Amino acid sequence: MNTADVIVIGGGIHGCSTALHCRLRGLSVVVVEKDHVARHASGVNAGGVRRLNRHPAEIPLAMASAALWQRIEDLVHDDCGYRQTGQIRVAEGEPGLAAIAARRRLVEGLGYSHEQWIGPEELFELVPAISRHCLGALWTADDGHADPTRTTRAFARQAAALGAEFLTPCRAGMPRRAGGGWQVPTDRGTFSGAQVVNCAGAWGGAVAAALGEPVPIEPIAPMMLVTARMAPFVDPVVASFDRMISFKQSPNGSVVIGGGWRSRAEPDANRAHVEFGELHRLIGTTLDLFPVMRGARIVRSWAGIEGAMPDAIPVIGPSMTAPGVIHAFGFSAHGFQLGPIGGAIVADLVESGATSLPIEPFSIARFAGQAWREAS
Amino acid sequence: MRSDRIVIVGAGPAGMRAALVLAGAGLNPVVLDEAPASGGQIYRRQPRGFTRAYDKLYGFEAGRARALHAAFDADNRIDHRSGTLVWNIEGRRLQTLHDGRPETVEFDRLLLATGAMDRVIPFPGWTRPGVYTLGGAQVALKHQACAIGRRVVFFGASPLLPLVASQYAAAGAEVAAVLDTTPLRAKLAAMPGLLAGGKTGWKGLVYLARLAARRIPYRHGITPVAALGSESVEGFAYTDASGRRHEIECDAIAFGYGLKSEWQLADLAGCGFEFDAGNYQWQVVADEAGRSTVPGVYLAGDGTRIGGAELAEIAGERAARAILTDLGDTGQGAALAACARRIGGQARLRRAIERAFPFPAPLARAIPDDCILCRCEAVTAGEFRASIDRLAPHDVNRAKAFSRVGMGRCQGRICGPAAAEILAAARGVEVKEAGRLRSQPPVKPVPVAAFADAAEDAA
Repeated sequence: MNTADVIVIGGGIHGCSTALHCRLRGLSVVVVEKDHVARHASGVNAGGVRRLNRHPAEIPLAMASAALWQRIEDLVHDDCGYRQTGQIRVAEGEPGLAAIAARRRLVEGLGYSHEQWIGPEELFELVPAISRHCLGALWTADDGHADPTRTTRAFARQAAALGAEFLTPCRAGMPRRAGGGWQVPTDRGTFSGAQVVNCAGAWGGAVAAALGEPVPIEPIAPMMLVTARMAPFVDPVVASFDRMISFKQSPNGSVVIGGGWRSRAEPDANRAHVEFGELHRLIGTTLDLFPVMRGARIVRSWAGIEGAMPDAIPVIGPSMTAPGVIHAFGFSAHGFQLGPIGGAIVADLVESGATSLPIEPFSIARFAGQAWREAS
Repeated sequence: MRSDRIVIVGAGPAGMRAALVLAGAGLNPVVLDEAPASGGQIYRRQPRGFTRAYDKLYGFEAGRARALHAAFDADNRIDHRSGTLVWNIEGRRLQTLHDGRPETVEFDRLLLATGAMDRVIPFPGWTRPGVYTLGGAQVALKHQACAIGRRVVFFGASPLLPLVASQYAAAGAEVAAVLDTTPLRAKLAAMPGLLAGGKTGWKGLVYLARLAARRIPYRHGITPVAALGSESVEGFAYTDASGRRHEIECDAIAFGYGLKSEWQLADLAGCGFEFDAGNYQWQVVADEAGRSTVPGVYLAGDGTRIGGAELAEIAGERAARAILTDLGDTGQGAALAACARRIGGQARLRRAIERAFPFPAPLARAIPDDCILCRCEAVTAGEFRASIDRLAPHDVNRAKAFSRVGMGRCQGRICGPAAAEILAAARGVEVKEAGRLRSQPPVKPVPVAAFADAAEDAA
């Protein structure tokens, strides 16, 4: 019988980070991944390392994760392609300005100062290529972006170097109780451990359901467009309060455009297709915001599968029905920045059943019974 | 049923013939094609104002080209939309750029007759100005009566090799040498099959005889070393069958290793694929009448299986008759059987051509480390090998994610076959085990500016 202190289901950034943080505390870990490390959301996201405009419940976690990003090379022995370029979210009209005002009241009311208002002059100085119809922006100077596949692999590599075992490709079955602990059947035999961590992303809902606590997770497939290389013209990652867009120029000159436009996810078939129908509007927005894009050519596109919760924040915390199981899934298309701290939180919970970060809002209990249905 | 919207992508011999058969049955097929005029690559027409005669443009194929052009032009039941790039398929919708503007074309039945492109193996200096593919060199001549250089070296392993070289010689360019990577004994072994294959095999001999008459050397069993020169091509270096190095002065080089099918749209449509050992490449699965594995999607021509213009035209007819059959026409049996017989009759010749011009996989596996492998992303073969050693990808899609090889504007069309060989060599497996690069829309780059009108107002 194969045994480990912790059995992690899912080799995305949260699974790999969990493995690393558990090893740093001397716990033995097995990661069971049905494809390969960073196959889905962790490998195909836009790589945004962003605190700007996060859900208020996520801000304390994002602040703690940002501190880990600052020393990411110490943590995983790879710079992960992390660049602190800043992130900007512009207002293009009155609704955007109103959203900024509301956002400032919220964030400043919570005592944070990482989101700064900048007027048009400062915006045009920071992003000379942006269209002059923009009215101002919120700016987080020490946000940035990183290479998602490289980052996730770096966590996996460092965890493995410290002794974590990675089973890839290896499908995990549903965990079942065995004595005081758990057994997880896999393609490579049954593993038993004291604790099981559900980092299965879009497939995390199936694990929770098997444990008797179904959640309304939706598999989504955010789409990205990539252009041929262009001369450098924008440094920060740019988004808008008025329209769905996320805009970034990679170090190699290609421009990556996203913003939450969704196509069809087929989690059972393990694939997602790009659907261009709606993307015409995204391209239009791109041209509006960056007139220089008139000369750009789209060379490829992709979509990846991610699990979204109806309230757009993840499930993080112990199972309500299965003592010894911890959930960390459903990051709703913004889990990448939280990766470094996510594993630390889970390792806290594994080790002591508690963590110093405020994770109550992410409890799976919020979906239990009637309470959720009434609230929605 | 008869009101089905039938769309054909590609106006080469397969697409044109299919459209004519469908129109002849009283249907109104839509034919979408990227070029300004019908004909495809093989029967490509010259620009307006050019006046070369058919036999000058198409040689032995002049009669067939003339007949096909005339019939296609005369048939007003065919809705031919030239200048239309089909860059994506979503369900039963094609997304296109028509004269640079986005248009959606819906279909009930789709025939993909998307043709083929040159298959290459990178070699040192291949990105230098003056290096062309054999097909590219031929198109320059056929389309605009331009030669790629004054003194040209032709090399590779392709039926196009003797053909294009003799066309250049006839057009007045100096052919410095024709260098075939196929060993002479392999060529001789294929000869009986070539000559038993009817006119096509004999035409090959005619090209060789024409080259010989001009005292142009044709060497077998060579290995390319490099395109020489500082800024543009000034020479070509190779080793002969006995391993001796030679250098030839030239100002242009044309090379290629046969053709590879352009199946990106079939991939986006969800069609099944198989590795064809004879053609040594991935091809779309088609049944005996040209139906893909996706209901309503049909295939014909070099985009499905490399066979040349004559076979493509028959396959176009066959797919059109399969469409008619699927629409409820029960009278196509005899004609379908006739198509099958004509295609079957060429099978031996096709195998002989595949043997006479085999893809030199060892050459791809041995690309020097400092040679650019992926020119879009500027990745050398050595960098690609290093990423394989470090990260151990099991297939070409993973290798692409790790190395950026195949991530650029050509999506691996150019470097893909060689990259797959390098990965297969590193893993110690056959190339089909390295898998197939997945296609992503747009299958060719589309300008952002084309979508300017879709811009919505700021809320």
